Parts: sequence; structure tokens; C-alpha cells
Amino acid sequence: MDVTRLKKGHDLAIAGKPEKRLTYAGRPAWLKIRPSDFHGIKPRLLVKEGDHVKAGAPVFCSKNNPDLLVTAPGSGRVATIVQGERRSINEIIIDLDRSESFETFETFSEEAVASLSSGRIKEQLLRSGLWPVIRQRPFSSVADPDRLPKAVFISTMPTAPFAPDTDYLLEQDASGLQTGLIVLKRLTGKPVHLVTGETSSNTILASAKHVVHHRFSGPHPAGNVGIHIHHIAPIRNRDDIVWYIALQDVLRIGRLFLKGKLPVEKIVTIGGESIEKRHYVKTRQGMMLKDILWDNRLEDNSRLVSGDVLTGLKSLPEDPLGYYHEIISVIPEKTGRDLIGWLMPGLKKYSVTNLFLSRLRNNQGARLDTGMNGSPRVMVPFGNIESVLPMNILPTFLIKMILARDIDEMEKLGIYECDPEDFALCSFVDASKTEIAEIIREGLEYVEKNG
Amino acid sequence: MEPHFGEGGKWSRLAPLYEMVDTLFYVPGTVTSTAPHIRDTIDMKRSMFTVIVALMPALLFGIYNTGYQADPGAGIMQNVRTGFFAVLPLILVSYIAGGLCELLFAIIRRHDINEGFLVTGLLLPMTLPPDIPLWMVAAGISFGVVIGKEVTGGTGYNVFNPALVARAFIFFAYPGEMSGDSVWSLADELTAATPLAVASSVQGTNAATLVSSAGYSIKEMFVGLIPGSVGGTSTMAILAGAVILIATRIANWRIMAGSLAGMVAAAFLANTLAPASQNTMLSLSPLHHLVMGGFAFGVVFMATDPVSASQTDKGRWIYGILIGALCVMIRVLNQAFVEGIMLAILLGNTFAPMIDYFVLRQNIAKRQKAYARQ
Repeated sequence: MDVTRLKKGHDLAIAGKPEKRLTYAGRPAWLKIRPSDFHGIKPRLLVKEGDHVKAGAPVFCSKNNPDLLVTAPGSGRVATIVQGERRSINEIIIDLDRSESFETFETFSEEAVASLSSGRIKEQLLRSGLWPVIRQRPFSSVADPDRLPKAVFISTMPTAPFAPDTDYLLEQDASGLQTGLIVLKRLTGKPVHLVTGETSSNTILASAKHVVHHRFSGPHPAGNVGIHIHHIAPIRNRDDIVWYIALQDVLRIGRLFLKGKLPVEKIVTIGGESIEKRHYVKTRQGMMLKDILWDNRLEDNSRLVSGDVLTGLKSLPEDPLGYYHEIISVIPEKTGRDLIGWLMPGLKKYSVTNLFLSRLRNNQGARLDTGMNGSPRVMVPFGNIESVLPMNILPTFLIKMILARDIDEMEKLGIYECDPEDFALCSFVDASKTEIAEIIREGLEYVEKNG
Repeated sequence: MEPHFGEGGKWSRLAPLYEMVDTLFYVPGTVTSTAPHIRDTIDMKRSMFTVIVALMPALLFGIYNTGYQADPGAGIMQNVRTGFFAVLPLILVSYIAGGLCELLFAIIRRHDINEGFLVTGLLLPMTLPPDIPLWMVAAGISFGVVIGKEVTGGTGYNVFNPALVARAFIFFAYPGEMSGDSVWSLADELTAATPLAVASSVQGTNAATLVSSAGYSIKEMFVGLIPGSVGGTSTMAILAGAVILIATRIANWRIMAGSLAGMVAAAFLANTLAPASQNTMLSLSPLHHLVMGGFAFGVVFMATDPVSASQTDKGRWIYGILIGALCVMIRVLNQAFVEGIMLAILLGNTFAPMIDYFVLRQNIAKRQKAYARQ
């Protein structure tokens, strides 16, 4: 098998890597659902405060497609519906039952799944509320059930800081993997691309059937699904759809069909230097961060992030774990100001560039906190941002065209292949402190709306 | 103190000045507001300061050489002192006059002061003859900052390298102070022709012989103890700067390599034409071109300005080659401007956006091909 070797990028040497030790978060009292997690779904509520829902029962659907449901991640009473401006729905809080009841769905054996029709699979995924684990590019929104993709991508080689180790996850419980893969294959009838790292020796993945195997190697973001799509089946235009799913969610799809109830558990990692215990936790969808971190202590002046430090969401302890997030990062918040930073040798200053002495030790001992480390300026194209983007895309020019709101040129320069998460390192290394990933997000939103 | 400079404060118009002084001493304490939550330590101040560091070997050698050219027998200490008091005013005037223009525009246009000026303000005096009148420096740098940079939108939007615009302005507005044999030395009674002037002085002979009979060996010109502009004579010191710029990746090595390749190719081409012509300059070897005049300084410090150069990797090669070849062409064919590198880089700046345009079209075509292949 060919290996796609990528050179551009950077593996962050950030302190606080999670240990391979699995703990269990206890049963929480509350669960929260955030409609804003589901990009592309405008929610229409199907419950009201006081209603009782079973796990897997509908909570809201998409205004554009009533079949596209988001269901309750646990059984209980809908305690509060928190509304924001113009009656948008911020949060739905569920008061969890002591003994939970589940909606039941039809069960199948692995062999039976292999002969299911696409329509039947779609119906089960939609009704259970597990459909939203499937997302589509361009625009990274929840997959549109009415439009089949040209391919499905599953990355099993996360390179983001503190990302869960694939081998360790599968060691815990690999049940449902093959069933999940068959479901995706039967559902779409299109190639399902399974991407593993060059050095992966995982036999479960290697023996997976009904998929196209690929191997990639290189520093972050080489493990991002957007990079794989770019090199295997690039997105040509806005109607050229590719689906992608996290590995854990493939397992959950498999378990839904094998066991007939909505699987709500997932394993997340806790990492970063500002938290006491760094390990893997078995948690469930919709849990508040403070419940997941119940026996863990955050240092003062730290930032809690749902997701990884490059793309995650700044969160409060009361916020739920993001629907798609598998990492909780806790990093030191910057306090105070450094004296004459431009002049100091910078032995302990983290940098991808060769401008500080820390580079001589490969950033060992250099700390990363939330500081911007400089003032915003007009962009000067030193070539830093190109050095961390392993795609045949010219970011400097794409950014200019986004700022100029020139849709025609954005399309020619490959905007549909882009996703903010693949440009996070560009924001990280830029000397002018320009929010490049945010500009990419703006550009995508603009073409999505006006294209 | 800070609230006075904030919005609605009594000195809010002077906010850029406050920002400059404030961040000069302390790195801003701002934290990330959105993902990514962490940032590299690199910022514009550090990047531009690195260029200043890279300029230091050439500047220090230039100071010594300025004194040495005035009185070779006075001893090193005396030479350095003479040079220091000749060069320091140039730099101070350049920084003060240019800095005022920069500040004025920052206040009027309400943007922060850009660190790029630190480089521009030092580059200009290093490309000038040491005894140039100070008011010319002031006029030149003002022109460079205002016309070369601010009228097109300020740092980051300039088409030409502002320091070169300033130098070109002085060169064309006051040619008497910028060319001829008497300007390169502090002492008025001394006339010293630069090697390039020597090489182009007589027709129908061999330039290399002319240069060496005037007392300039390749080694001497490489080291740089020759008449010339303040910072541009020592190829050796400039190379030290080039190493710093390439190692830190502040300057793109492709531009330097391209320029060198373009210059060597053009010089060899000129060499093959030499026997058929009376033009002495045709016979200059690439090595001569490298060590004579401002070629090395221009290629290392001016052509590599990331804003006015091509901004794609392939484009940087083409841009570099173009500058190298143009420099030789101007030196050889138009001896009114023996110092060809300035015009070559300005022409290179002119073509840079067009080069990028074609690289961009090629990138788009390549993507279309990848789309068709899958």
C-alpha cells in the first residue's frame, strides 16, 4: 500500500500528555444538549419543559428536514430550555432519571446488516438520533440525508495535541467496528476510506473489510480528515460532497445496529499542564465538563477547552462536552507581561520558527499558555503559514480573496477543500497574529450563504 | 496612563505612539479569544529585529571602512571613530525623519506603527555614500516612507521596497551627490573610484585587468575595504547577514539563490559576447559581479523584502533570477547606471505581482487536474 508522506506541519511539543489509564466518570445528575454543536441544523423543538424523554427519544429536529433528529443522550425530565437572543435555543437541560430507560430500535447481526437496504439503514440512523455523527465537507455541517456523498472518510491517526490513541481506544472495546463500516458502505454504496498512520500495526484496523485502506505519515495536521480528503478525493465544488466520521462514532453506529439502543458512551482524554490528573475517561454524550472532571483539580488561572487546544471551544465547567469533541484540554491562562520580548534570547519561548534559542532544544522546556505573544499587524508573507499547511493551496492568496469577498477566486483557489481546523496551525505560527483559521471560517460561511 | 490613550481619552489620537512605546518594553498581555488557544512566540517585532541583527555585520564593517577610506593610515581605533561619527548622523536622521512621517501617517490613518520601518530606516543610510548631506537623507527617507509605502496603504501593501524608493529618489534627484568619484570618501580632496566605475571607465579592454590594475583584487573586494556605500562594500559581512536571514527563515533563500543563478547565467552570457564588442563590462566574470558594487547587499537585504517580492515559492525563484539577470544587464549595457542592482530590484518589484499571477493560475490548473483525475 502506498504511503502518503507529508512534510509540512508541526507536532506541538505541549506539556500534559494524557496517560494511558482509563477511569470512569460517575453518573451525572444533568445532561445538556447544545443545538449550536450541530452545524447546519436549525433546530425546531419537539419537547417542552417538564416533558419526560427516554434515551434516544427526539428532542429537536431540523427545520429544513423533520426526519433529521437530535435525540436525548439520556432518559429524564426536560428541566430547562435556555433561550438566547431572538428565541434561539442555547441549551436543553435534562434532569437524568435514577434508572434510565431507552428507546428500542431493531437489532441485527453483522451478517444481517450486510443485506440491509440503504433506506432502512438511513431510517434507523435518523430515528435513533445517531445520524448527526456523520458530517460532510464542504462546510463541515451535519450530513444531508437526502444527498449521498462520493466517498466516506474515517481517520484513525489523530495528530492533534492530546488526541486519544487509536490502538488504546480499540483495546478497550472494539465491538461494532466492522458492523459500523458495513453500515456506512451499505448506506452510501461509495468507497469508505479508512486512513491509518504509516507505523500503525493495529490488526483490527488492518483486517477491516469493505473499506479502502490508506496510510499517511507526517506532523500535524497530517491526521486531519481534511488533509486526507485533499490528497485522496479532493472536493471539486460545493455539490461535491464527502462524508466523514470519527472512529468512535463508527463503533457507536455498529453498536446501535447490534444492540438496538442509542449508544451514548464515549472515551475522552484529559490533557494539559494545568490539570491534576491527565488520563482517559469513559464518559457520555452531553455531560458537563465539571462532572467529567469531578475528582480532578484545575489550577487557578487556567483555561478549560472542550476539544483540542488548536480548534476547541473555550468553556466553563458548567458547559457540556462538545458533541464532536474527544479531548478536554486545560492550559495555563497568560497573566502579566513579558519584558522586551523582541530582544530576549527566548530559551523558554515556544516557537516553530528559528527566531528563539528554544529551537536549539526543540522547544523542550518551553511552555505554551494562552498569550497572543505580540500585537496584531498587517500580514507580511514570511512563508511561516505555508510551512505548516500540507495542501496544494496557496493560503496567502486565498486569505486575500476571502477578505475581498471574491467568491469566484475563492472557488478557484480551493475554498471548498478548506476547513478552519486544517488552518489552525497557520493562525498559530503567523507573525502578524492574524486569525487565519477564523478568516477561513468566514470565507466558508460567506460562500455557503452567497455561492 | 493607558486610559488617556484609549478611545475617548484625551490623547486618543496619539494611541499609535503609546502602543509603540508600550509594546517596546513589554510584550502585550492579551490572551487568545478564539481557537487556536495557544500561539507561537514569534511576532513582528522579533521578526524585524532579526533583520536588524543580520544587518549588523555589514553596518559595523561599514563604519570601519568609512573611516578607513578617509585615512587608511590612521589605525583601526581612529578609523572606527571617524566612521562612527560619519555614519551615526545618517542613521539618526533617517530614523527621526522617517519615523516622524511614519508616526504622522499612523495617527492620521489610525493604524499602529509597523516595525518594518526599523528595517527601512537602517537600510537607506547603508546604501548611501558616507558624506551625503544630511538633509538629502531626510528628504529621501520621507519620500520613501510616504510615496514608497504609505500612499499604497502602508506596510504590507507596498509595491516597492520603501528603502529602495528612497535611494532611487536621492539618486535621480541629486545625481551629483550619488555618483562620480569624489562622493565615496569622507575627505573631499580624495577621489576614489568604486570598482564598478573603474571597470566601465575605458572601452575596448578587459574589465578584470582594469579593476586589478586600479588596485582592487577579488579578495580585497570580497572583504570590502574599498570605496562604496556605507554598508554595501563587504560581501563577506553581507554573507554573514545572509546566513542569519536564511537560518531564521526571515528572508527566503529562494530569492537569494535565484538572484545568484540569474546573475551567473547573465554574466557568462555576457562573457561569450565580450570578444565581439568594445564594451569592457561584458568581460566581467560572475565573481566580479558578486563582489563589486551593491549586488550582494541588494540581493540579501532588499530583494528579499517579503512584501514587495513574489509571494509564492515558485514565483520567488523567477523573481530572483530576473533580478540577478537584470542587474548584470543594466551594469553591462547601460553604464550611466553602473550600479545596476537598485534598478534591477525595483523592476523585479514591478514584475512580482505578475509573476505571482501566473504561479497562481498554474496552481489553479494543477488543482483542476487533480479534480479530473480522481
